[in-house]
Amino acid sequence: MILLQSHSRYLLEILSNRVQNVEKGVELDCNWVEFGDIRYHIQASIKSPHLLLLSVSLPTPPPETVFFGGLPLGAIEAVKAAYGPVIQILDPPRDGFNLTVKLNLTKLPPDEETKTSLLVKIASLREVVMGAPLRVMLKHLASRTVAPDMDGLVALVHRPTESFFLVPQAEKVTVVFPMRFKDSIDTVLATSFLQEFVEARRTAGLVNAPPCSWSPSPPLELKGAAVEVLFANAGFVSFVLFPRHVEGIKLDKTVWNLSTFHAYVNYHVKVSKSAAALFGVAGVLARKTTVCFTVKCSEGFMHTRMRRRVESLIQALDRAKPDKEKAKKTGQSRSFKRLSLKEARSGLKS
Amino acid sequence: MDPATSRPAVVIDNGTGYTKMGFAGNVEPCFVVPTVVAVNDSFVNQPRSSSAKGSNWLAQHSAGVMADLDFFIGDEGLSRSKSNSTYTLTHPIRNGQVDNWDAMERFWQQCIFNYLRCDPEDHYFLLTESPLTPPESREYTGEIMFETFNVPGLYIAVQPVLALAAGYTTSKCEMTGVVVDIGDGATHVVPVADGYVIGSSIKSIPIAGKDVTLFIQQLMRERGEHVPPEDSFEVARKVKETYCYTCSDIVKEYNKHDKEPSKYIKHYRGIKPKTGAPYSCDVGYERFLGPEVCSSSSLQVFASFVILVFFNPEIYSNDFTMPLPAVIDKCIQSAPIDTRRALYKNIVLSGGSTMFKDFNRRLQRDLKKIVDARVLASDARLGGELRSQPVEVNVVSHPIQRYAVWFGGSVLASTPEFFAACHTKAEYEEHGASICRTNPVFKGMY
Repeated sequence: MILLQSHSRYLLEILSNRVQNVEKGVELDCNWVEFGDIRYHIQASIKSPHLLLLSVSLPTPPPETVFFGGLPLGAIEAVKAAYGPVIQILDPPRDGFNLTVKLNLTKLPPDEETKTSLLVKIASLREVVMGAPLRVMLKHLASRTVAPDMDGLVALVHRPTESFFLVPQAEKVTVVFPMRFKDSIDTVLATSFLQEFVEARRTAGLVNAPPCSWSPSPPLELKGAAVEVLFANAGFVSFVLFPRHVEGIKLDKTVWNLSTFHAYVNYHVKVSKSAAALFGVAGVLARKTTVCFTVKCSEGFMHTRMRRRVESLIQALDRAKPDKEKAKKTGQSRSFKRLSLKEARSGLKS
Repeated sequence: MDPATSRPAVVIDNGTGYTKMGFAGNVEPCFVVPTVVAVNDSFVNQPRSSSAKGSNWLAQHSAGVMADLDFFIGDEGLSRSKSNSTYTLTHPIRNGQVDNWDAMERFWQQCIFNYLRCDPEDHYFLLTESPLTPPESREYTGEIMFETFNVPGLYIAVQPVLALAAGYTTSKCEMTGVVVDIGDGATHVVPVADGYVIGSSIKSIPIAGKDVTLFIQQLMRERGEHVPPEDSFEVARKVKETYCYTCSDIVKEYNKHDKEPSKYIKHYRGIKPKTGAPYSCDVGYERFLGPEVCSSSSLQVFASFVILVFFNPEIYSNDFTMPLPAVIDKCIQSAPIDTRRALYKNIVLSGGSTMFKDFNRRLQRDLKKIVDARVLASDARLGGELRSQPVEVNVVSHPIQRYAVWFGGSVLASTPEFFAACHTKAEYEEHGASICRTNPVFKGMY
């Protein structure tokens, strides 16, 4: 399953709730965190119920990425372009956050359908902000050019102090993900998952998906990068994107899928563990993963059937156990041996 | 320092009926979803064909893989299982205890990744358990959390203690009291003294929210309301949640309803799931009879009329006939004598099934009656030489009663001491799942 939706479920829920009950005007003050260390804060007061203050903080950028005033390149322009008059960017942002926007609910379009789609768009603020530089580059790819200030190796942040790399060219863009995991079991599983993932790309139904490869050592594209980024315990995954992958509506999807690739792999590692760890056989599992690679642009499914396998093994073990009933009986007969009257008497006499 | 301690902890309160989840420091949980998992079973029962070779095997195999991933939780799960017969609904928690660990784990998976959308490695977790959970299931929870999700730290809190903690922020720092926790699947009366659960005096009642629903369903069915049978349980649940209230006297309430039916009888409207045709039904006596299932004391109700759930359990079940106030009284009487006055003073309600209107007032009145009778009897026995001080009985209800446990968890997890009280991943790796076995609030129990 999991294909993360680009909008934050909770934010969307808050917004649509708010839009429906503007006149109630309850106070609102919520904090929450999403994967990749993105923090949100939303606030509304009783005084002006149609105004919402939404703040977002981004993960700490590693030194190799380019950030302007705490935001990725082109983020402000992207926000302005995406939302128009509904959103107003506040400067400076709220303390401890990178971006604060003021949402004016009275400026939402009256039409229900466009309103909901705009709310969904607002709920995916994260994608707009974080994916801004990626979007710029892929747009240039679609028009077969290279953005003027972005050539050579470009680093983009996607997790706290971690980044992935892009090598933009006129005809293609190469994306390289150094995959790092904290836990040793996770590392093993992720490595094997990624290998299967690359294998699955070769099946007949996925000819049009971007070619991808995995290697344990840094690929040639990363030549010239700092030494510390060249360490990744689960290897490096690279995708090659062609203009046909970013045409029209595919662009949004591609941007989102690329920027959440790590979360996606992480989820599947956890899923496969949940099947195995319950029975303590995580090690065996590594070789038994299967990947169904569907749809374009790196979407995959992995799981194991270990659970059922282990169950059947346990059943076999149970069958192999010596008969419990019998064992009980013999035990009982030994400890509670009842003497017959005759025997007791003879015992007394002797 | 561990960066995870700077992020808010994730608080998940798994109840039999609903799961409340969110981040510590907030007032409300982010999501409240029914605790159900809809699993696609269509592949499981497929006969294993003897020719387990080649493409056939592969097709079956990948089908099985898909089936493993193909599940939904919460409202999505409910609607899927209704519209599509390939999904079967499982309830991972029964009567407050985890019943199906497989489903529970999937449920958590979805909660974390799809609803809260957080990385479990980044957050400390606070989970809750009922006071009667065996240590083994706590161990199991720890195993899943640490092994599968790699959480950096875990705290398994006891629900009534959290409910009490929710109360203290609003008024005063009172950690002594009786928690009356009536959820969907389990009812517990738990005395807590200074934050420690008095384990030997915990009373549990085999009647809870679900029984109220079943009772209402039965009432409506007997009266012959036109509710589609496949929907009747859901309708009963909605009727319970929207219309039910607690009355002070059943006979009077019957009279009121009979005199002015138009004022008291509500209409419920719905749409048949299969045909899409609208229907409506009347909601009458069940409005007040439902909550009664758990409450009145000595009212003898005619057999022809139906009988009541929490206050008059005899109308619903033959096995359990002790009304809730009597159970609370018994529970307090079995607690250490020096805590009893404090316990009577602070009776805290928690759980969705205490949300009926005036439930707290009814409970307070009935309990006060029992206590006063006892004080009077003891005065009479002493012959008027010594007068005992009157016992203060106080049933507290707060506005967030429905999420009281979750809110308490949120308050607890946002204190700096919380992170020190957690079991950490390092401890787990050093000692194994047994670190989760005991809970410090049950001091000296195990």
